[in-house]
Amino acid sequence: MMPLRNLFQWVSEFPTSIAIRESLFFSPYLTVAHVVSMCLFAGLIVMMDLLLLGIGNMRTPFSEVQRRLFPWQMLGMTLSSITGLTLAYSDPMRFYVNIFFWTKMLVMVLAGINALAFHYITYNSVMVWDTRETTPFGAKLSGALSIVLWSIVIVAGRLIPYNWFQS
Amino acid sequence: MLQPFFDWLQQLPVSQFIGNSIWIYPLVQAIHLVFLALFAGAILIVDLRLLGVGMRTQPLSQVARDARPWLIIGFLGMVATGLPQLMQNASREYFSEFFWYKMYLIAIGLILIVTIRRKLTQADQPGIAGKIVGLISIAVWTGVVINARLIGLFT
Repeated sequence: MMPLRNLFQWVSEFPTSIAIRESLFFSPYLTVAHVVSMCLFAGLIVMMDLLLLGIGNMRTPFSEVQRRLFPWQMLGMTLSSITGLTLAYSDPMRFYVNIFFWTKMLVMVLAGINALAFHYITYNSVMVWDTRETTPFGAKLSGALSIVLWSIVIVAGRLIPYNWFQS
Repeated sequence: MLQPFFDWLQQLPVSQFIGNSIWIYPLVQAIHLVFLALFAGAILIVDLRLLGVGMRTQPLSQVARDARPWLIIGFLGMVATGLPQLMQNASREYFSEFFWYKMYLIAIGLILIVTIRRKLTQADQPGIAGKIVGLISIAVWTGVVINARLIGLFT
């Protein structure tokens, strides 16, 4: 893992990284913006997952939810990524040693794989189950995994300031 | 006026217990955020529809009816995880301006939900009034989130 450590170390010495780190207000406001954009992203992801599970928003066809909410989810993801990356950029060595940060990163990758798997496998048959009262097993599985994985991402993210297991 | 109540809240054995534990408070904070995501989703799916930029081919009243149980679960979950956070730090939060901004904005947001917003979501053509209320609702709840995060950062 040394190259990664070197990369984090290298970034932490950038003048802009130091400037954000040492600014009194920039990091708190970035954190606030990160939480607000998380609401947009995770909120609308959860609404979609509830439909996939067959327990929420059932009066709306899935293809309609997908088409109308996707742009907002992407906006939420873009804003969360920008604010999150800037936070990481501003203090890389603090995150490098934090187990919750790496848990969050790993589980985000898993959540992404789950979304892609759903898109390329189950979503192909959407026209068959779009307006049905119930959703197929693949959809339920993706919905449940998505809720669980994104919840872990949120929980791990909130625990980053508590470095109980700092190495 | 409410200060004795806040002081009383903080000295309760259960508040002390939460305050003395290393992990209860952080974990409760984290779960609070998971419920926030659920609540925000249930708010946004209706407000975006009111604004005409969400699921606009679906009848508004249906979208609102489907969202309601999740709105209620999300809110109750946030109250259940919010109270323990307040209890272990009540005497200090009493003096936090962000805490009180958050409470006022929650009151406004809730009144909006059970009055004008509810009326509008029962109509199928909310028109310009729907757009205005949708925007106000998003603004109020965003204000709640911003102030909530600032309590933690500056109290």
